[in-house]
Amino acid sequence: MASTEARRECETEDCSKDAKLQCPTCIKLGIQGSYFCSQECFKGSWASHKLLHKKAKEEQNQNETKNCVEKETNTDPWPGYRYTGKLHPHYPLTPMRSVPGNIQKPDYADHPRGMSESEQFLKGTSQIKILSAEDIEAMRVVSKLAREVLDIAAMMVKPGVTTEEIDHTVHLACIARNCYPSPLNYYNFPKSCCTSVNEVICHGIPDRRPLQDGDILNVDITVYHNGFHGDLNETFYVGEVEEEAKKLVQTTYECLMQAIDSVKPGIRYRELGNIIQKHAQANGFSVVRSYCGHGIHKLFHTAPNVPHYAKNKAVGVMKPGHVFTIEPMICEGGWQDETWPDGWTAVTRDGRRSAQFEHTLLVTETGCEILTRRLEDNGRAHFLSQM
Amino acid sequence: MEEEDDCPELVPIDPKPPVSSVGQIPVTIITGYLGAGKTTLLNYILTEQHNKRIAVILNEFGEGSALEKSLAVSQAGELYEEWLELRNGCLCCSVKDNGLKAIENLMEKKGKFDYILLETTGLADPGAVASMFWVDAELGSDIYLDGIVTVIDAKYGLQQLSEEKAEGLLNEAARQIALADLTIINKTDLVSGEDLDRVKDTVRSINGLVKIVETQRSRVDLSEVLDLHSFDTENAANLSEKLHLMRSPHPHLDKSILTVTFEVPGDLSEDALNLFVQDLLWEKLFLNKGGQPMTVIRLKGIVALAGKDHQVMLQGVHELYELNETPERWEENVRINRLVFIGRNLDKDVLQEHFLARVLHKLDN
Repeated sequence: MASTEARRECETEDCSKDAKLQCPTCIKLGIQGSYFCSQECFKGSWASHKLLHKKAKEEQNQNETKNCVEKETNTDPWPGYRYTGKLHPHYPLTPMRSVPGNIQKPDYADHPRGMSESEQFLKGTSQIKILSAEDIEAMRVVSKLAREVLDIAAMMVKPGVTTEEIDHTVHLACIARNCYPSPLNYYNFPKSCCTSVNEVICHGIPDRRPLQDGDILNVDITVYHNGFHGDLNETFYVGEVEEEAKKLVQTTYECLMQAIDSVKPGIRYRELGNIIQKHAQANGFSVVRSYCGHGIHKLFHTAPNVPHYAKNKAVGVMKPGHVFTIEPMICEGGWQDETWPDGWTAVTRDGRRSAQFEHTLLVTETGCEILTRRLEDNGRAHFLSQM
Repeated sequence: MEEEDDCPELVPIDPKPPVSSVGQIPVTIITGYLGAGKTTLLNYILTEQHNKRIAVILNEFGEGSALEKSLAVSQAGELYEEWLELRNGCLCCSVKDNGLKAIENLMEKKGKFDYILLETTGLADPGAVASMFWVDAELGSDIYLDGIVTVIDAKYGLQQLSEEKAEGLLNEAARQIALADLTIINKTDLVSGEDLDRVKDTVRSINGLVKIVETQRSRVDLSEVLDLHSFDTENAANLSEKLHLMRSPHPHLDKSILTVTFEVPGDLSEDALNLFVQDLLWEKLFLNKGGQPMTVIRLKGIVALAGKDHQVMLQGVHELYELNETPERWEENVRINRLVFIGRNLDKDVLQEHFLARVLHKLDN
């Protein structure tokens, strides 16, 4: 990290005096390093310096028109926002989809702000529900349905397909199975699943952007059926993907599976983060800290909280009958995240890629049952078949 | 719209704020009944520390329904309002509390504060508020929980503490004392020396470890209130000393919150200690002689872990707990474990027995 006491030299040609001042227009345009020793000196080189501004403004305009005019797609809905990577939203979104009246909906579906009163009621508690045999059966059913929907989404992943198209299919697939797509209107989330591309860590909103060759895409599916939610996600390759990206996806999957391997009664929830971080770090990757796994059954998100990083203070010990998710988000670069102005899309601050995998698990007497496991192809994650 | 050809006025180089947590910002939670003098204390702090940039949040964070919350910032004697955006988005699979994130976001945009003071309502559980800010060090937050300060009225405090609550319900005033790192007994000019002593004794019996300061009109030496470092290892030596001098206080009220303390020489097994604390805090496994489960509200201790040179600090608030190595070494000092438990239905004998049986390091392991 650069020291703030580094000596800076004046930009003016032939002037090597100490520079303590900066051009404000350059700051605004994002041009680095326009340091000058004095206003006079700056004025002296103004004639040539202002050309830098002109060039930068021209570039900006070019980009903007290119992005905005293309078939009415708006890729700069938040002027002034500095994207951390290459990804931009592709607006406008299609209007919020509706779900037929005969399908059982969670309490937040019709709430104007998408708030879940049942979740709010239990906010802050760390008591973990032990599911009855009936509850467990219902969880098996809904988890299987969620898996079916993810498998359908997986088949669509290829260059040229937009994330909105995938979302539409997901929406229809849920309805066909008599399920409500849990993300829809959850705290006003506008779509039926989350699609997270490259530097998006999670909660990406499906939009008009066509998938590009070389992208990695995570599709996160949660469905609600018969009063219970089932949640899973997988990261897929789009076309031909770089080796580095493949390593990230592979490692992330391993992090999840290693954590799952340790799940059994008596294990503390806080331990999972130690396992995940150890493996991620061993491969040169970092673990996202801001988002965690969670209890899931009648509520979408509830106790326990399952952080994925090491040395966390998660409360709770696994017992038979507990149901929760593990969903590590692993990054090529730093773990720090930032949220887009849409209030949902979480991206890495350094703009580098992030991958994720998730399962819903049931703690059994001897270990755990992966409720959202894939039933075909030997239970392999889709990306393994894509290699 | 500036003329493109006009040469603008240069500005001083703005050094990028350091990403690492040099200069973390302390959060102090101020609690107490209405009328005890919390607001007076707050105003006093703001006036006395007029050179610092202090954020004041009133009434903690509501029940998740507000999208914005106002925050007052005091700087150079001026008070102005800022808005915290309690972002929508996924509240439940997010590790950091909404309120905490909102403060961090604000600081990123508008610069860091020197102190953050949070005044809670009289009925709020300061422990729950504290949990919001007692984040894992791994999260690299700029904010850390400095301490909980409870203001109690010298004249009416005793009455509030003695108030009978319906079966099972906690006396909030007692809980505020239980969780306090500092208790300010205010309005001492309104009571006799005897009465004041009674209040002090009662406070002591609930929380044997808390620092007590007496004030009139909430006027207090700010070095007593700020920079307490009650939740981290900076004041480890201090805690060590306090524990050394502590004796189990006698309960004064026929109330269930009290302080229990014991010391045990020898080394502990880290795993066994974790299990013990989890059984105590999470599973509420230990029962007192009356068969009621012991509920610990606050837990503090300095322990000697087998194989570790350094003294280890144990901290707990409700169910959250942490073990942290302190910079203090045992060296020639006798390796001895001192623990303080504050809560309901505590039974020293039962606790100590369980502790001795399960946590002491067995040499043959």
